[in-house]
Amino acid sequence: MAVTIQPADAETHRPEPDPRNTREPSDGRVRGLALAFMGLAHLTVLDQRIKGALFALVEVAFIVTLPSLFHRIVGLVTLGSPHPELPTKDRDNSTFMMIDGVIAVAIIAVFVGVYVISVRSAMQDLRLGARYRPRSFRAQASAVANRSFPLIGLSPTVLLIAFFVVVPLVFSTLVAFTNYSSPEHVPPANTVDWVGFDNFVTMFGGDATWTSALTRVFVWTTVWAILAVATTYIGGMLLAIVLHEANIRFKPVYRAIFILPYAIPAVVSMLVWRNMLNGAFGAVNTLLMDIGLIDSPVPWLSDPWLAKFVVVMIALWAGFPYFMLLTMGAMTAIPADLQEAAQIDGASKWQRFRYITLPMVLYQTAPLIIMSLAMNFNNFGAIFFLTQGGPNVADTTTTGAGGTDILVSWIYQLTVGLMKYNYGAVIAVMIFLVMAPFAIFNFRRTRAFKGEM
Amino acid sequence: MPSKRFASVLGRTMIYIGLTMVAIVVIWPISYTLSAAFTPGNSIAGLSNVPFGAGFTWDHFTYLFTETMYPRWFLNSFIIAVATMLGTLVFASLAGYVFSRFRFTLKRPLMMSLLVLQIFPSFVGMIAIYVILLRMNALDTLWGLVLVYLAGNLPYSIWLVKSYFDTIPSGLDEAARIDGASHLRTYVTIVLPIAKPILLFLAITTFAAPWMDFIFPKLVLRSPEQQTLALGLTSFVSDKNSDFTTFAAGAVIVAIPFIIFFLLTQKSLIQSMATGAMKE
Repeated sequence: MAVTIQPADAETHRPEPDPRNTREPSDGRVRGLALAFMGLAHLTVLDQRIKGALFALVEVAFIVTLPSLFHRIVGLVTLGSPHPELPTKDRDNSTFMMIDGVIAVAIIAVFVGVYVISVRSAMQDLRLGARYRPRSFRAQASAVANRSFPLIGLSPTVLLIAFFVVVPLVFSTLVAFTNYSSPEHVPPANTVDWVGFDNFVTMFGGDATWTSALTRVFVWTTVWAILAVATTYIGGMLLAIVLHEANIRFKPVYRAIFILPYAIPAVVSMLVWRNMLNGAFGAVNTLLMDIGLIDSPVPWLSDPWLAKFVVVMIALWAGFPYFMLLTMGAMTAIPADLQEAAQIDGASKWQRFRYITLPMVLYQTAPLIIMSLAMNFNNFGAIFFLTQGGPNVADTTTTGAGGTDILVSWIYQLTVGLMKYNYGAVIAVMIFLVMAPFAIFNFRRTRAFKGEM
Repeated sequence: MPSKRFASVLGRTMIYIGLTMVAIVVIWPISYTLSAAFTPGNSIAGLSNVPFGAGFTWDHFTYLFTETMYPRWFLNSFIIAVATMLGTLVFASLAGYVFSRFRFTLKRPLMMSLLVLQIFPSFVGMIAIYVILLRMNALDTLWGLVLVYLAGNLPYSIWLVKSYFDTIPSGLDEAARIDGASHLRTYVTIVLPIAKPILLFLAITTFAAPWMDFIFPKLVLRSPEQQTLALGLTSFVSDKNSDFTTFAAGAVIVAIPFIIFFLLTQKSLIQSMATGAMKE
């Protein structure tokens, strides 16, 4: 509703001479009215009844729900009190209270957003001038229908993202500041309380076992992400270059084969590898023993260090086609006249590759390396289906973190397995912090590309 | 110059050997799975290193279709993936169009939040999603799962579509507007057809992700008749079960359509990777 008039819109609302008044209310008056009650300025001085009524309706609906919203926010603050005397289903459920509170805050945020829109809309209508504002009921209705297109187009999206992306992210951040964990603080039997930074203290130095586990997993997650990206990038690019440059036959056959890992769902390929790498009966060991390369089975997935190596190798198997396809795409995008010009100037095949193809491919694919790092940092599937985080190490029984667990798969173990939601949430917050620079990079890159925003 | 020719032949032979070795490593798990799907018995211990070297049987496929709910899992996964794909296409193209062509209040903050939200993996909020779905009575339903996927897809998809629209001159749709078409009409008849390439890319990626996702179905779906392919297949090779051959049979059925699709479209796949991923 707060769309500035597009050229096409202006065309449809032809100016009508206004016989009644040409005197416009002052800026301050309109802003005051618009701020006092949503839609008030539209209804009174601006003479935009339909729009004003709709805005007013939103505010009325908000005021009606205000007591219940307030109640929920109080619940978010207190998280309920324990009532051991009541049957379990009647006790205060802290988790529900938390979610409801966060949703209430989200509803208030949406309302504030609509308020901003209504005030801006009033100011824009004022700037438009009385003669250009639609007057008749029909003109007003069609103007609202037309100009509210962005609002209608975006509201399902905004609501979905608010409730299924933003609210969960806020919730998991909040859980990091509570004692929501098994066995003593799991609703509905017990309540959850705010504990401030206690969980952070435990994880960052307060408790030796948890701190060392966190350090270990964090370092491995970083190393894993770097290795997974480096190997797939180099491997994929090498193959793409060989297939593109080398003077060989059967290129389409090789390319078709190399695409296969990309076509197979990760769950399937990881579970197949898990079975092939099985210590006793796996195909890898039996084959290597059959051809005499090894005498006894290699514990591929049960030795912590070997398992780390294997995880990276399998990630290479599954991930190189992505970068191979990207490099191929980048190479086909290089203008042919550039190559021809170099050829005429006497550049050898190697020189053309070294000074034209390679720099252009690197330039085009470099930003994707960064995004791929972020992706692999959280690549749950590549770890979980292959090793389930295992093998167990010294602290696994307490912390749930196995030898190949990365932060996200550890969160899964903590929440689904151990029900230590509070510690899981601390790790989630940590992931947010690590991901923040990537978000900024993503933002800047897009801006660099578009020049807009 | 015989020595130079010799070097070139040697170099090419090395390249052939290298490529063939990579090809063997790529194909190995695939041929292993394929042969396991037709091998009698259940455990991996009975499998031969020679493909199809330990007998041949259709039993695992019969078992899948008669003793398990495999067809049902297939149908559920299909419903979830198609609904997610269609929803993403509709909402992302609409929002992408709005972001690309309109100026409106709060546009900048909205676009920035979409950009930032793309980065965070949505399943770190899984406890919250569980409770929200519980509150909505959407646990153990397919539509609840679709809502979760849809919301998770949107930030990235909207940016993708918006950036694509930005490269298209707005003259076309403005002309339609001046001719008196409503926004919705312009969007459906003019804008959507132009966006076909990027929507195709989006359709493929948003179908493939929920098709084989594990975490959210595991979290949301409980009853046996609401399971998906990923849940069903992993249940064959969980800690309690080790029925690799049945898993292999199920996996083969799942993977073959994908492989055929990728092989047929590899040319345009490279093209769409070049436009979709690099210029997003």
